[in-house]
Amino acid sequence: MALPVALDLTGRRVVAIGGGPVSARRVMAFVEEGAIVTVIAPWICEDLTDLVTTGEIAWLERDYVGVSDLDGARLVHTATGEAAADDRVLTDADTVGIWCVHAGDAGATPVAVLARTTVSLPDGPLTVATHAAGDPRLAVRARDAVAEHLATGSVALQRSRRRDGAGWVALVGGGPGTDALLTIRGRHLLSTADVVVVDRLAPRGLLADLPASVRIVDVGKVPGRHAVTQDEINAVLVEEALAGHGVVRLKGGDPYVLGRGGEERLACEAHGIPVEVVPGVTSAISVPAAAGIPVTHRGVARGFTVVTGHEEIPSLPSGRDHTLVLLMGVAGLQRTTDLLIAGGRDPRCPVAIVERGWLPDQRVTIATLDEIAATATAVGVESPAVIVVGDVVALSPHALTP
Amino acid sequence: MTLRLPLPDGSAPHVLVVEPGPRASETVQSLLDQGARVDVQSPAPDARLVDLAGRRLITLHTEDDLDTGRYDIVLRDPLRAAATATTDRTTGRVVLVGGGPGPLGLLTIAGLEAVRTADVLVCDRLAPLAALEQAKPGAEVVHVGKIPRGEFTPQEQINAILVDRALAGRRVVRLKGGDNFVFGRGGEEWNACVEAGIPVEVVPGVSSSIAVPALAGIPLTHRSLTQGFVVVSGHVTPEDPRSDIDWDALARLGLTIVILMGVAALPEITARLLRAGLDPATPAASIADGGMPSQRLVRGDLATLPAAAAAEDIGAPAVTVIGPAVSALLPQA
Repeated sequence: MALPVALDLTGRRVVAIGGGPVSARRVMAFVEEGAIVTVIAPWICEDLTDLVTTGEIAWLERDYVGVSDLDGARLVHTATGEAAADDRVLTDADTVGIWCVHAGDAGATPVAVLARTTVSLPDGPLTVATHAAGDPRLAVRARDAVAEHLATGSVALQRSRRRDGAGWVALVGGGPGTDALLTIRGRHLLSTADVVVVDRLAPRGLLADLPASVRIVDVGKVPGRHAVTQDEINAVLVEEALAGHGVVRLKGGDPYVLGRGGEERLACEAHGIPVEVVPGVTSAISVPAAAGIPVTHRGVARGFTVVTGHEEIPSLPSGRDHTLVLLMGVAGLQRTTDLLIAGGRDPRCPVAIVERGWLPDQRVTIATLDEIAATATAVGVESPAVIVVGDVVALSPHALTP
Repeated sequence: MTLRLPLPDGSAPHVLVVEPGPRASETVQSLLDQGARVDVQSPAPDARLVDLAGRRLITLHTEDDLDTGRYDIVLRDPLRAAATATTDRTTGRVVLVGGGPGPLGLLTIAGLEAVRTADVLVCDRLAPLAALEQAKPGAEVVHVGKIPRGEFTPQEQINAILVDRALAGRRVVRLKGGDNFVFGRGGEEWNACVEAGIPVEVVPGVSSSIAVPALAGIPLTHRSLTQGFVVVSGHVTPEDPRSDIDWDALARLGLTIVILMGVAALPEITARLLRAGLDPATPAASIADGGMPSQRLVRGDLATLPAAAAAEDIGAPAVTVIGPAVSALLPQA
């Protein structure tokens, strides 16, 4: 018989008998839950020593003596490594009516700390715990299976109760565009959102799996056409969050790399809306990687620069060993290459243009700095594309067959 | 898995393992632990068996007409059947996984999937080690941590580990902090695999150069302030003959400057930027242990940062950011 319950240990006293690794693991969990922990053991392992040093737990350096050691405890944990000693603690605890975890005997313990997985959601943590009578390993396996479903987003985590006040906004970097390059945290938040405000370059494949009740607001910007302005996007985020919704702003790449995430955050915070920023896999680094180009490589490049504008280009480091990544640079490519050459960069320096990085129809175009603009025009290069300038381009397998 | 021999402890049986599979070294280790003397019969031993024989942990027989009568036990490698379902010589491959700055949540879905299906995980100190809990039971974990000015595994040896394990038919994941290609030496690992004829894939990661500042409330670009950033390694001082960074160019660029591995050289780097004409009042910050519960942030300006960082005991791993974007966002209450 076992009824799972959730204990709030905040400010409550827990006594742990035994100083080994089993005890340490549990004590750390009790401390994380806010319990006031005393460890009783003649010696303790390093993890526990650390907690004693930082004052997070108290340590009585001796053996367990009897029922008086349990005074004031709401929960006892015994893991001395000696069955007889643990049995005695359990008997004493039962006598005085304190719940006791007998860590060494999964069959006999009246209390079991369950295998669990916790997802920290903006409205508070969601915990799933598993229990298999007398078989903790089975419980762990079941827990892992549940954790996997949570991580991969197959469980809808939208809140079922209305929020009293404002909701929240999460600025989530979606990576270069494929679903699998979203982060675990980003996936969790997406499963939690009531509203998703999405860019053209975000990993849109994931949206199809969201429940029908989730509202998708598309603010995709197509180059050359009228776009939703940044002010309008900020207004949508604020309005939805103030209406009590959980809002995920799903973007391509990283929110803070030319993604205007800083402005969105400021707009929300100006209205007292809590904002979480989840970094993403930036296209500036990952799209070159998709073409086999590392932005740094020992002996080839010791640093890299990421830019969009033209103002900085004349003063960029001109060495071929400094990699230059240009985002949104397709339209002005001829002018950019002219400026780079005028700024001292070798006209024979290799350049790669990677279109639709990581997508099935990715295309890589490689030429020298003085020829790339003409080549790009000839093959009809289009946005979105990432342009890489520097000797690292020669490391790409595509460079072998220009 | 543990093999238990049906013999009394201390009997030191002589065991012959036949038909060794790709996880034969685990079988061998388990037998050795029980005091057995172990011979292995394999007409085409792989690198790991040759290695075990070279270390005299086993006696290797390549002939197939072995007299089995002189052994106490002849054992067909029991890990073989289970393992061949997922691994044989043809499935060996390497996946270079960028693990992000440290918290499990900043690993990508693709990275997690690679960890879950790996036979071997070769991990850095700064990789999201919490992911290892989700590795297959019995997966081999190799730590190749590089502790600054301490113990480290040379890159050549890491490459060799990746290649050896993959040639033995195992699915190898190289799990590291940040992104593979941002000072991660992923390019060298990639080349080592390609040269050995091993299929290799890259799963890009959330780069610490961007994410660590972001998690501390510092965007690298901010409209109207700066539209770009530079990432350099600060592991040698600007005056060091090995330094090949154009600090003068960085000082006049007007872009956000991100310095990785630059804790020790911070005073020299900031002095060099000041000499190159960068405004001493330029906002600057250092973040240690970014994204982890122990994260520490120190803000100042170009002139005051080194002293402030030293006072706050900022140590590696740390990321330093210099530029107006550092103060673009108001600190959250």
